[in-house]
Amino acid sequence: METGIKIIEGSCKGCVNCIKSCPTEALRVVDGKVRILSDLCIDCGECLRSCREKALALDEDDWDLIRSHGPATLMADPTFCAQFSHYWTPGLVRKALASLGIKDLFDETARAFDLAAFATARQIEEASKESLPLISIYCPAVVRLIQVRFPELLHRLVETETPLETGTLLWRKETGSDEGVILVTPCSAKVMLVRGPVGREKSTMGHVVSVKRLARDLLAAGPKVDGAALDPVGSRWLAWALRGGESRHIKAFSKKNITTMAVSGLRNTIDLLQDLELGRLKGVDFVECRVCDLGCIGGIGNAESRFLSELRLSRQPIEWVATEREKADLADLYETGIWKLEQPIQPRPRPSLADTLDEAMKKLKTMQAVYAELPHIDCGACGRPSCRALAEDVVRGEGEITDCVFKLRERISVLGEEITALSGKLPHAFHERKHAK
Amino acid sequence: MDSHYEVEFTVRGDDFLAAGEASNQIKETLIMLGVPSAISRRASVITYEAEMNLVIHSGGGTLRAVITPEKLTIQATDRGPGIPDLHLAMREGFSTAPDRVREMGFGAGMGLPNIKRNSDNLEIESEVGKGTTLTATILFHEGPGDRR
Ligand SMILES: Nc1ncnc2c1ncn2[C@@H]1O[C@H](COP(=O)(O)OP(=O)(O)O)[C@@H](O)[C@H]1O
Ligand code: SF4
Ligand code: SF4
Ligand SMILES: [Mg+2]
Repeated sequence: METGIKIIEGSCKGCVNCIKSCPTEALRVVDGKVRILSDLCIDCGECLRSCREKALALDEDDWDLIRSHGPATLMADPTFCAQFSHYWTPGLVRKALASLGIKDLFDETARAFDLAAFATARQIEEASKESLPLISIYCPAVVRLIQVRFPELLHRLVETETPLETGTLLWRKETGSDEGVILVTPCSAKVMLVRGPVGREKSTMGHVVSVKRLARDLLAAGPKVDGAALDPVGSRWLAWALRGGESRHIKAFSKKNITTMAVSGLRNTIDLLQDLELGRLKGVDFVECRVCDLGCIGGIGNAESRFLSELRLSRQPIEWVATEREKADLADLYETGIWKLEQPIQPRPRPSLADTLDEAMKKLKTMQAVYAELPHIDCGACGRPSCRALAEDVVRGEGEITDCVFKLRERISVLGEEITALSGKLPHAFHERKHAK
Repeated sequence: MDSHYEVEFTVRGDDFLAAGEASNQIKETLIMLGVPSAISRRASVITYEAEMNLVIHSGGGTLRAVITPEKLTIQATDRGPGIPDLHLAMREGFSTAPDRVREMGFGAGMGLPNIKRNSDNLEIESEVGKGTTLTATILFHEGPGDRR
């Protein structure tokens, strides 16, 4: 299985700083280098934040190489439009990009986000009371987290495809173009929308580049654009860059009053999903979770400070009421079903210890026995995030108990005593000579 | 060797910070053993509610899970005040939780009914002044999971 994270081996010092940052304990340090257990990785990007050596990075494509192949078409994440102080509306960003010969799909994006909100509003209205709240699929890290840790909640995920994909599909359908489209991502999680999407066979976007990388080019070129003539690009979609934006959008398109809940940050997301799992969110219709602080503007692949992005977004004039023309367009698009996920999202539980319950029980007992021998201080020196993780690796055949420095020292000291004892023993021949003296 | 696996946790009374830890660990155990998610979900509800009752009503006790190839048994034992009227306690919405507990969002009186709904068999033995033992069972081969 793939992840949205790249390891730069040459930079990794094996310091083990990163391994405890991972919420699913997916990191190991083996032979002095970091490894990702892709079964467990949810692409949240926490480890990227924790590595001082920059040995972990977004697994993005080479933008310079893409550029060298000619004109580029971008499917930009909403956060992209919150990166610049000069180009502070989509219309201005469009002009700046155009001056570098780069094409945007903002119009299709705006329609796709409208469509996603519209389709989700319909699903909430049609859902039975017990199946509420529904959960947003917009943050791919949340979807993976649910697949890995909360499979019981999968049936609550909305069936709406991410509007970034739908926008590209819309553009292809209407232009007939099969040109490559580049996703501009704010995070490692959205890298996977291109590399290994969930809920569909294959993405129609061919490449993925970080917001940071593109923003840097745009800032370096610094094209002057005329602020007076603003393109009339819709702006509701921009709100999705901030926590609560999606919920606000869905509410704007709902026929009845709905109750939504929006949280951001990994810790909050896990807590909320736990509450939901235990059936403690009665009366809530829709739940929006983002693993990054403040929402996608807090994604690790952005250039701008999330606080400045937030400020800028909060100043965007957003028209929440759709025009009659937009409404008619949405109703038509909704009927086509273009907004739907292709496939149901499947659970992705961590593999059990063994194939049969019987075998697994035996291994679990061994694991407890191994664990009991360890010092329980979770020091990380073995390259595992916890003593428990080492015990598990040992029974899975992926480690040795002597990977623990304390166990190693114990063995060495036992060995040392044996050596001392042995060295005290003289060959029989010497004994006899002693007596002879 | 008779094939079974057992975990036991001590749950402290009124310790709302640690509440939920025992049930979390039982869930982890079930996942490691490869128990299907439909079953571990039902188990989560039972263990969590039973653990909360130990915390809120009993002054503390033990939570135990026993797994065999046939079934999962969850047992909560305490030497607390006991339940005077079991029939009443099983009713949806019935709760004797004090206000201070309700303010924390607990005590909706849905715990025992939810435990009942998610188990294949439920037995509660309780004696006033002596304590309570709750034993809930989930069968592994009782047709496809969700009984809600
Ligand atoms: N272990 C216990 N010891 C004493 N009383 C209990 C215990 N478990 C439940 N009860 C009683 O049964 C009632 C209903 O329990 P439950 O359905 O879990 O609702 P809640 O915990 O929200 O009050 C409790 O309010 C309490 O009076
Ligand atoms: S934090 Fe992790 S990835 Fe970074 S240098 Fe240390 S071990 Fe390597
Ligand atoms: S919150 Fe947004 S930026 Fe962060 S991981 Fe999720 S989708 Fe990516
Ligand atoms: Mg209760």
